[in-house]
Amino acid sequence: MFRVAKATFVRNTLVMLRAYPWSFVIGHILSGVYTVLFAYFAYHYVFAGQLDSRFQHLAGTADYLSYAILGGAFYAFAVSTLMNVSRSLITELREGTLEAVLLTPSLRRGYFLGNVAQQVIRTVFEFSIIVLIGALFGLNLVHTHLWSAIAVWILSTGAFFCQALVLGSLMLRFRDTYITQNTLFVIMAFVSGVTFPTPYLPEWLQPLGAIMPLSPALDAFRQCVIQGKPLVAVAPQLLHMAVLSLAYLVIGMWGMRRMEKRVVESIFA
Amino acid sequence: MLIVENVRKVYRVKEKGSWLRQQWKEVEAVSDVSFRMVPGKIIGLLGINGAGKTTTIKMCSTLLSPTSGTITVDGYDAVKEDRFVKAKVNMIAGGERMLYWRLTGRENLHYFGSLYGLHGGALRSRIDSLLLQVGLLDAADTPVERYSKGMKQRLQIARGLINDPSYLFLDEPTLGLDAPIARQLRKHVKELAVAHGKAILLTSHYIHEVEELCDEVYIIDKGKLVAHDTPAQLTQSLNLETALHVVIPALSASLDLDLQKLAVRYGGSREIAETDEHTWEVTLRGQTDMTTPLLSLLAAHQSPVLRLHTQQPSLEDVILHMADRRGA
Repeated sequence: MFRVAKATFVRNTLVMLRAYPWSFVIGHILSGVYTVLFAYFAYHYVFAGQLDSRFQHLAGTADYLSYAILGGAFYAFAVSTLMNVSRSLITELREGTLEAVLLTPSLRRGYFLGNVAQQVIRTVFEFSIIVLIGALFGLNLVHTHLWSAIAVWILSTGAFFCQALVLGSLMLRFRDTYITQNTLFVIMAFVSGVTFPTPYLPEWLQPLGAIMPLSPALDAFRQCVIQGKPLVAVAPQLLHMAVLSLAYLVIGMWGMRRMEKRVVESIFA
Repeated sequence: MLIVENVRKVYRVKEKGSWLRQQWKEVEAVSDVSFRMVPGKIIGLLGINGAGKTTTIKMCSTLLSPTSGTITVDGYDAVKEDRFVKAKVNMIAGGERMLYWRLTGRENLHYFGSLYGLHGGALRSRIDSLLLQVGLLDAADTPVERYSKGMKQRLQIARGLINDPSYLFLDEPTLGLDAPIARQLRKHVKELAVAHGKAILLTSHYIHEVEELCDEVYIIDKGKLVAHDTPAQLTQSLNLETALHVVIPALSASLDLDLQKLAVRYGGSREIAETDEHTWEVTLRGQTDMTTPLLSLLAAHQSPVLRLHTQQPSLEDVILHMADRRGA
């Protein structure tokens, strides 16, 4: 499995270096930067630096800029991971290489692991730039519990990977990437607490946030960065993330197997 | 040995319908097909478009599962033990698919080799040997997007051989290739069977290719195997007509009449056409060879013979004959 992962990692890196559209990277960074700018202008010119009393209670901090900037950066990281992993098989289908991959006895786990490992490099780069720009606009990193933040980041990668398998199955089912992924991303941005705490949402909408791994991941990450909490303190969020990851992994693996078969059948039917 | 036994494949195909009320129908693409692939032999699978050739190949290569029936490869079931089967088979398709265009030829082979569990020095030497075999050693480090069509097809062959498969499926391998490259490729395929002992299954629209390469031919029509024999036996078994073409400088009324009588006597037919050089081309068609009586007749009429050739029925005639029957 690890040889397949390594080979896929190398292949994707070579393709990325030769032909990856930099507009993708810039686009992901820009969407994070826009969130940073939006938070900055809204905080200073709309709220005039005033937040209602509920915000501190719900967000666990009065530092809105750090809250929103981290939300934007983490959202960009989630979108990159989801997008790059979920599109892998449908890209093979579109480029005419899916059959050649399916012909081999390689384990699909290794293939996806290679994809996710390669995209981690990309997201680290994108995330770092957004955080650096965020620091210029008021992101406070002084209290960061570094190792806990890194651990949450790594666990979040796993959670987004599991969700990406389900998204990838849906993409193969509908033979579409654009509508499927963008619908999910818009919903995620709204219900997962990217720019405001989820309890501000109507009650009927809040369960939707609870099934997005981004919600507990972001909550845990903020607590580690803004409040400097250790990993143990965010155990409930990590447990929430683990349950979601398991559920998405089971559904995603089942869906991928089913959709691969369906796609191959539909090509020849 | 690869054994296909009573294999059937049914597809569910969407018919007209809205998003909410979709209608499906079942289409039987392959019906009760059985055959065997033996090391060192090339078998051909011929048929008209939609006959079920590609579906059969995809099932043998584990890409599709049969609806019923079994496919075993050296004792392994192609559905239940597909990972063992995948290690023993490979497929080469015509066209420019199944390769990563942004990678070089060598990188493509390295990636696919890794997916088959090859690594280290063994993989590197296998890649070099395959690149040499298909004549791409000089272009090994050039991205595939800069390859010509023929080079891409040769790289596909190398990819198809990366796992040293015992069973190789060639689906229209010379599609769109220039004649010299196609000829080179046919030579290579023959070598793979004869010198390397591969069992090969070939489908091709170029029937002369099948005639040249295949030891045995299966003809598939509407998903069913309708004939199986050597190419020569297949053409003989249908008793198709031989065409005898003769070109003469002049055609008198009496010679025309005698030619008509000759054709009727041998149960055949005759056609006459004036050529651009103001000569006459007579074509006699029949199941019996009429060369000797025709030459005697022309001698009796003191008619010189400018050209004479016999056209034996080909495998293409067999397919066309079957297509006519299917259309009837």
